[in-house]
This record gives sequence, structure tokens and C-alpha cells, in this order.
Amino acid sequence: MSTGTPVRNSHRQPPPGRTAGDVVRDVVRGIGELLITVGMVVLLFVVYEVYVTDWISAGKQREATAALEDRWANPRTAQDRPLAGEGIARLHVPAFGPDFAFTVLEGTGDETLATGPGHYADTALPGQPGNFGVAGHRVGKGAPFNDLDLLQSCDALVVETRTEWFVYRLLPLAGEVPGWAEGKGAAERCRGVTPLPPPYPEVPGMEIVDPGDASVIAPVPGRPRDSALPPDAQAQLITLTTCHPKFSARERLIVHGVLVAQYPKGSERPAELVEG
Amino acid sequence: MYGWIWRQLPGPVALRVVEALVLFLVVVGLLLFVVFPWLSPQLPFNDVTTG
Repeated sequence: MSTGTPVRNSHRQPPPGRTAGDVVRDVVRGIGELLITVGMVVLLFVVYEVYVTDWISAGKQREATAALEDRWANPRTAQDRPLAGEGIARLHVPAFGPDFAFTVLEGTGDETLATGPGHYADTALPGQPGNFGVAGHRVGKGAPFNDLDLLQSCDALVVETRTEWFVYRLLPLAGEVPGWAEGKGAAERCRGVTPLPPPYPEVPGMEIVDPGDASVIAPVPGRPRDSALPPDAQAQLITLTTCHPKFSARERLIVHGVLVAQYPKGSERPAELVEG
Repeated sequence: MYGWIWRQLPGPVALRVVEALVLFLVVVGLLLFVVFPWLSPQLPFNDVTTG
């Protein structure tokens, strides 16, 4: 960095006697500066992934929520399936705090998931028999599912649609199934939560699977989609998927819940929304 | 590299400081709003779906 005219001039017109050492020094300094610059750019990318995408997604999520509430207030006629990218429901997770709620959008494209959790388009809708499958980011982009690994069995996942509240609860975790009915399952908040009966395979409340394992969002989790039960024999399930471990996409963290209660929307909010 | 850029900036030192700052912000802005949004989906950190 120049501090005065004489120094600057000496830089502009290098003395004729530039030695080989001067050239080597310039090259080495250039490489050093380049490496430092690359390091700073990589750091900036981490800041972008973890923080900047959060700010961008927060704005998109706000817009999606406003649009959803507007549509709930002025429903379109005869709309069966929602359009891709549109909000379809609100997901509340009281275990993460009474204010934790995200607008779930239709579809699982990149742009949709940058706005909020996305509903796998070919899975059941909230409250329907089958499996309401939802994907969400774990780090950055709003990170709706950041703390999914902290959920315990019987924790509530409350889904709000235009007309109903659906209260799902996490199924027993692996290892909790033996003695469930007399043990944890006897607690008041676990009412309605039991290991799924046959022909369901054991579906734990939380599991970690390979990225290619699509069977976790099948109507009967763990079974191929086409061997599903008839719809009226299917349990009403919810499945949340996100990446695992954090900052990686090596595996997927999966959470399964079962419908335990359902209320028409009125003036009262369900008591489940404020439990810890 | 940075010495060379500094020498290309016209004007007195005070003006060069402002120019350098603007140049820095332009580069950061390009990275944050053009390069990274394109790069991010190409990298496997954010795949959250199964199947």
C-alpha cells in the first residue's frame, strides 16, 4: 500500500535493476493473495448457506403464509389438489415452542423447499388415510427441520388446514416398543400412540435411512408403494424427511407420526399447541 | 494482485479507498446474489428428499 508520492512512483517505474529475486517475490505474493482470497470466498459461501439463505427464505415464507391465509379466507371453488408451490397447510411443532409454525407448500422442488417445508405431491393430504409426507431443510433456507432429531415419542405435530386441526404424535422410538403399553405409552399425552398393528412393519418414531429409500414416505412405510393396503385399511400417518447429519446429505433423518386427534376449526385453538 | 489493483485505481488516496470499498462490495454482491444461488443447488449439502 503506498503512503506517498515517492513510493508510488517507485512502483510505477520499477528501477531498471529488477533482480530475479524481485520476480520470484511477486509471483509468491500473488499466489499467497490468491489463496487467501479463495479462503475468504469459501467462508463467505458458508455464511451464505447458513445465514443469508435464512433471511431470503424468511421473506418467502412470510409471503406464502399471507397467501395461504388469504386463500383460506376466500377459498376457490372445487379445488381438489393444490397447485405446485402453493401453501397447503400450517405445520406446528409445540415441542419447538408455541410459535413454531411453518407453511407447508405443495411439491418438493428446490424453489419450493427454499420457501418452506414441501409436501411430496404423490402422498396423502393431511388427515387422509396413508402417509402425509413432508420434506424440509435442516440447515439454511429457513431450516424448518433443524432440530428434528430432538423430538421424542408422543411429541405433537399439529397440522392446520383451512377447516381442520390434525394432531399427529410421534410413534414409539426404536427400542421403546417392548412394554410400551405399560411404560411410556400409559402417559396421558401418549393417548392414541401405539406401535402400528400388522400388516405394518415396525415403523419407529425416528429413523435414519439412505437417501434413496423412498419407502419411508409410502402409505405403509417400509413397504413398496404398490403393495399398499386398500385406503380404508391404512393408518393416517405423517412423515417428515430432512438431511442427516447436519451440513451433509449422506443420509436422511425421518420422523413418523400417527394421527391421534382431529378438531374442526373454530374459535378455540387445540390445547396440544401449547404443550412443551 | 491487490497491489496491482490499487495502482490501477485513479485519484488521490481518499478516493481510492472509496473505490476499493465499492469494488469489494460489488464482488461480494455478485457472489451472494448471482454465483452462490447458482452454485448452491449443484452441491449435495441440501438434499432433504428421499427417493
